[in-house]
Amino acid sequence: MKLYRDLTIRQKQIAWAWAFLAIPVLFYGVIRFYPTGNAILISFQDWNLLGARTWTGLDNYQKLFADPVFWKVFRNTFVYLLLGTPVSLVISFVVAYHLDKTRFLHGFLRMLYFLPFMTSAVAMAWVWRWFYQPVPIGLFNNFLASLGIPQINFLNSTTNALPAILAPAVWAGLGFQIIIFMAGLRAIPKSYYEAARIDGVSTWTVLWEITLPLLKPTIVFIVVFSSIGFLRIFDHVYNMTTQNPGGPLNSTKPLVLMIYQTAFNSFDMGYAAAQTVVLFLVLLVVSLLQLRILRDR
Amino acid sequence: MANLVLRDLVKSYDKTEVLHSISLAVEDGEFVVFVGPSGCGKSTTLRLIAGLEEVTSGTIEIAGRVVNNLEPKDRDIAMVFQNYAIYPHMTVRKNIGFGLRSSKAPKAEKHKRIESVAELLGMTAYLDRKPSQLSGGQRQRVAIGRAMVRDPAVFLFDEPLSNLDAQLRTQMRLEIKKLHQRVGSTIVFVTHDQVEAMTMADRIVIMKDGHIQQVGTPAEVYHQPANTFVARFIGAPAMNMIPGVARPGGGVALSTGGTLDLGRALPEGRDIILGIRPEDLHTGHDTAVIEGAVNLREPLGHETLIYVETANGDVIAKADGRTPPEVGEVVHLGAAPENIHVFDAATGEALR
Repeated sequence: MKLYRDLTIRQKQIAWAWAFLAIPVLFYGVIRFYPTGNAILISFQDWNLLGARTWTGLDNYQKLFADPVFWKVFRNTFVYLLLGTPVSLVISFVVAYHLDKTRFLHGFLRMLYFLPFMTSAVAMAWVWRWFYQPVPIGLFNNFLASLGIPQINFLNSTTNALPAILAPAVWAGLGFQIIIFMAGLRAIPKSYYEAARIDGVSTWTVLWEITLPLLKPTIVFIVVFSSIGFLRIFDHVYNMTTQNPGGPLNSTKPLVLMIYQTAFNSFDMGYAAAQTVVLFLVLLVVSLLQLRILRDR
Repeated sequence: MANLVLRDLVKSYDKTEVLHSISLAVEDGEFVVFVGPSGCGKSTTLRLIAGLEEVTSGTIEIAGRVVNNLEPKDRDIAMVFQNYAIYPHMTVRKNIGFGLRSSKAPKAEKHKRIESVAELLGMTAYLDRKPSQLSGGQRQRVAIGRAMVRDPAVFLFDEPLSNLDAQLRTQMRLEIKKLHQRVGSTIVFVTHDQVEAMTMADRIVIMKDGHIQQVGTPAEVYHQPANTFVARFIGAPAMNMIPGVARPGGGVALSTGGTLDLGRALPEGRDIILGIRPEDLHTGHDTAVIEGAVNLREPLGHETLIYVETANGDVIAKADGRTPPEVGEVVHLGAAPENIHVFDAATGEALR
């Protein structure tokens, strides 16, 4: 006790700060940083989860870069990103922009848009999977049939399957993005719009030159956030293609699914860890690039 | 020629009427200040003139035409907002130029107008800066510039100085007044600060609860307030209000004790209120009728305000700055009869 009493105020503050920080520091150390470091280490080793780890150097990475499946998966992951992010950004902005101006049933409509975000991705994926079935089961194909339009192969086609899986993933994230956009829109002072009304500029000019530039921080946040989400897409794909995860012919397989299969079907931990490191680097680079490009110049 | 005419202007939100039949004519080149406590309807009136709110009934005429159903941009007005409403992502030049976006003038002409407005406001050196690189006063100038560049028939100012610190506010007050003298445009200015109203206005419109209480020059509203509200609202510290009863023969029996002869005929037996401004109430007067002990002193340098306890609450009076009475000292206060305002106690209206 005497030791504590002799400390200066600043030293006491430091002691208390560390006392409170101890739990998160411990948590991050054990649950986050140690496994991350370990994964990087394993990526240079050969390990089947039970046996001894053997050092293999860059073998895993060489194997990865020579693997055609990896490149297919790599491409798929970026298709999810490059389609999903802009599409969800535009849809969520358009919905938020109009919802913000709607007084009628405002709270109810907002709840409807937010509902998918709260729903379990597994349940949602299975419902959508049902939508996509051929006649007489699937909702979409039944509808097309009643209009006399030929059947569309959604999940069994190598070209249609990826967008078909992306659609519910975009839909699931919309609620969150709409709420963020609406908060951003609310934060713009009303007088900016009133001043523009007095100046007599068109609605279009107001949107492009006032609303969107002032929403930039919101847009940056949503782009980075949803990009990370699409780069890590897994549960929608896995649940909508359970018989042949990532199929048909790997046409829907994202990187995370490949990692999962390598680790827990093939038990090739070293190889899976190498893929994880690549995913980590991709996430890092994409996020940093986006922040760099979109932030104020 | 009247440049802006309000006729029986009424504004209701749902069933609540917030403006009750406002009528006013503003002459060309006149600087009119709307002043009143918050919620009195002054900002609503301004927003009706601007076209940001719809008129419930009555008419607004600007430069000779009824503008009730015109969009703000077609009303030939410009407005300066309380938070300036200048866009943080645009340079000063673009902000000022935003007011010209809808104008069909050629580009060179617009450019020239932006430059000349910037010069008038002393902002030429800052044209390519962003608002975040400007001080509060400079931002205010940009907002004024954006209004000026439109060259409107009427300028509307919505409490533009309330976001500035006290010193800057005094400075901008002068600048706006100078600008008005130079440009000579019609200005409608809304504020809750009676000092701003007194110092800037050609005419003051004092509002309360959606009614106009009095319209007049600063001197008129100060020296001949129409009712007790105006009397207390204009002038700081506020006017002393001393209840009394009119006695036969022109005397007034004060609630603070004593009888005061005002030398004018008052309706006998009527309950009245005497209003005396602190600067008119002082010691060493030959008709001193208010007596009491000094409670508190507020030295202001050139004078000292003394709070004197009477049978009917404190009154504020002015005393000499160098030799004010001590706290606790009993003083006798009086005022010249011509400086005493008389109001009807029941209605609050001035009795003249």
